[in-house]
Amino acid sequence: MNAIALQTVDRRSVFTRLDFRPKLFMMFTITMVAFIWEDPRLGGGLALAVLLSCLAAGIRAGYIRTVLALMLPFSALVILTQGFFSTTLITTLTGRQPDDFRMLIAFPSTWPLVGGAGLSWEGVLYALNIVAKSLTMTLVIALGVFTTDIDAMVVGLVKARVPYKIAFVFSATLRFFPLLFAKAQAIIEAQRLRGLALEGMGLLRRLRIYARIVVPLILSSLIDSQMLDVVLQSRAFNGSSDRTYLHRSRLKAADWIAIGLTGLFLAAAAIGYAVFGIGRFGGVLRP
Amino acid sequence: MPQTIATFSNVSYVYPRSDTPALRDISLEIPKGEFLGLIGPNGAGKTTLSLMFNGIVPQFYGGRFFGAVTVAGLDTLEHPISSLARHVGIVLENPETQITATSVENEVAFGLENLKVPRDEIRARIPRVLEAVRLEGMERRHPQELSGGQKQRLAIAAVLAARPSLLVLDEPTSQLDPVGAREVFDTILELNHTLGITIVIASHAAEELAECADRLLLLAAGEIVDEGPPDEVYAQVERLEELHIRLPDITRTFYFLRRRGFSVPELPVTLTQGLAAIRPLMTRCDPTPPEANPATVRRDGDPLISVTHLSHTYPNGTQALCDISLDIHRGEYVLITGQNGAGKSTLVRHFLRLLLPTAGEVTVDGEATPDLTTSALARCIGYVAQNPDVQIFSSTVEKEVTFALHHLGLSSDKIQTRCQESLAAMGLLAVADRHPLSLPRGERARVVIAAILALEPEAVILDEPTTGQDEQGARLILDLTKQLHSAGKTVIVITHHLHLMADYAERVVVMGERTLLRDAPIRVAFHEPNLLAKTYLAPPQAVRLAQAIAHETGVAMPFLTPMELARAFTKGTAAGNS
Repeated sequence: MNAIALQTVDRRSVFTRLDFRPKLFMMFTITMVAFIWEDPRLGGGLALAVLLSCLAAGIRAGYIRTVLALMLPFSALVILTQGFFSTTLITTLTGRQPDDFRMLIAFPSTWPLVGGAGLSWEGVLYALNIVAKSLTMTLVIALGVFTTDIDAMVVGLVKARVPYKIAFVFSATLRFFPLLFAKAQAIIEAQRLRGLALEGMGLLRRLRIYARIVVPLILSSLIDSQMLDVVLQSRAFNGSSDRTYLHRSRLKAADWIAIGLTGLFLAAAAIGYAVFGIGRFGGVLRP
Repeated sequence: MPQTIATFSNVSYVYPRSDTPALRDISLEIPKGEFLGLIGPNGAGKTTLSLMFNGIVPQFYGGRFFGAVTVAGLDTLEHPISSLARHVGIVLENPETQITATSVENEVAFGLENLKVPRDEIRARIPRVLEAVRLEGMERRHPQELSGGQKQRLAIAAVLAARPSLLVLDEPTSQLDPVGAREVFDTILELNHTLGITIVIASHAAEELAECADRLLLLAAGEIVDEGPPDEVYAQVERLEELHIRLPDITRTFYFLRRRGFSVPELPVTLTQGLAAIRPLMTRCDPTPPEANPATVRRDGDPLISVTHLSHTYPNGTQALCDISLDIHRGEYVLITGQNGAGKSTLVRHFLRLLLPTAGEVTVDGEATPDLTTSALARCIGYVAQNPDVQIFSSTVEKEVTFALHHLGLSSDKIQTRCQESLAAMGLLAVADRHPLSLPRGERARVVIAAILALEPEAVILDEPTTGQDEQGARLILDLTKQLHSAGKTVIVITHHLHLMADYAERVVVMGERTLLRDAPIRVAFHEPNLLAKTYLAPPQAVRLAQAIAHETGVAMPFLTPMELARAFTKGTAAGNS
């Protein structure tokens, strides 16, 4: 079992062939477009396109399922808060007054605390827009990172003028997370091997158990990081950018095309939004 | 007079937040091209000394440092670690913690990149060093795809690429199977002979050190207590045994022969020397084979653990086990052995439902494991997994041991009694209030064992319990397994340290090629070198000597230990030999 490997794709695709710099640019442009668009239909379409690209690139469906499952409580919270409380924001964006909102749920004004409040269709649509933005940003990072070898990533970042120390810390962090999860699992396993029956426990007790592993996890990780530090220093690592690299990072035609296309996409989205109102929140409310 | 690569002048060192010196007044000169072995019990200061060669101690750790260390003419206090890395390569105990890259070639290149070696030169050096450690053709492989021995050789290649004049290795073979360990020793010996690289190696591998080292340095409590060629140092058997230092089986065999009145002018330290020394004895005395030679192991009643046609494939598609059938009965002492990655741990994890069979069935006390929970199984089978550090989660040793007991609903008096018994059995009473992670690795492993034993399970499984232990620590654990076995418990030990198991196990399950290669009494299995070689194991040195004697005499000599071998020569005409 590979305990320390980062999630990577086995399949060769256009994404694995690209240099990390166009992927970095792609992450930036798609995130910007996601930010620009307020229309949940366009935002959702963008999220769907990124999700399909992830699957096409070979990112495991299990990983995407996990991301979606983790986002569910967040999404529910956003829908509730925006649905109930985004009245002023929606009025600002659309000019529509609260009395004109389409209410999905309305509490009678006689009810204590929540009396008079309501869940509006407009608020829910705005919440869906936020959910789509979040999903797009999460998945586009996975698409860029999981389709790149970590060492190639470091070279790409350095070429993009990121200081080597920061690039190395970034790559070390990516390597570190799977290790951390493996350790957490091992600690829980060790507790089960000492008779701890997680099976019959309620959610709160389980959460207390999980919370208790934080201290040993941090201590154990500190020991590991100290050992890693010893190894790195023994290999003459001092964090300086003044070093050589085994691998070259040269932008090829495909990389330039990718940069051009994603740049055009961002420009088109920005102009479309500013000049023609494409992607504005009001669009989704028009009959 | 040969040139000196490293000099220690009256070096003493105290770690931060410690009152006891880790090293005391060390003075030492290491000539260029020497192969120096560091031996000593755990805590003797071997690792601290090793980390001084490139300035990690004290530059990284801090603490109080006295005296001076120079390596390749550079004072290790005055020159940064990154400069010293040009001259000194360090390989540590755990190959897993030394991997920093995602491919073999990147791993080798990392140090060179830091040393600003030009790209073309890096490209030229990679195949050369990989060839030197016999990893050629694996440039694009992910280091995690390599075996333990290969990973350790990769770590050597990574430091070798910088062309150091001094290679320091701290317990590089303790986690490797015997063939992997042999490969590492062969590699560094070749580097020493062909490239003239000075080697300093801290190791408990007595037999390999006896064959490879020019000089041994015996450390105890931070001091050099002896030094000299291996045959001189290992000849002081009583002193080394007092310090709990492992000796080559050959040396112990002849030591016992000497004590039985045979004339042994010089104690041999290698198998070759042993074979030469045994022949004159054999001309004067016929060795007698052991009286008991059981062909089978006694098994009564229904099995406690039953494995039927078990196969397991991991989610990533790796098939770890293929069609294994095995019964383990109550009261047995079973050794499960095989190369790194043979599937030993995968097999026993099925006993506790930590893994579920892809095909086949595992039952414990007649019940299929999928119908039980891990926590329920853990009360019947105590499992001590490999890495102690991920099994420690409490703030004191005592809390670690009592964790499980609180889930059993025992009274506080009973919990205290069991805790004290477990701590005493593992020699941990004195550190009951310490944080477990503040203890040395050997003691950390014993904390986990104490925590499992406190549950008083019917069967105990110890997965590589002797890794990182010195001779005393290993014997303490194994002696305890013997006591448990005598008390009627079922004991299963997973290890490839075969030399330690001859006094303990009755039955050996040999695993390799993802399946069960042999299930036989220890006296049978240990004397099948071809079978063991299939799974990268080698019989203990005493067994190899016994086989050589059997070859000479034409009589089967299924001995396992130096003592047994020596006793074979006590009968007959020993009187005339003194």
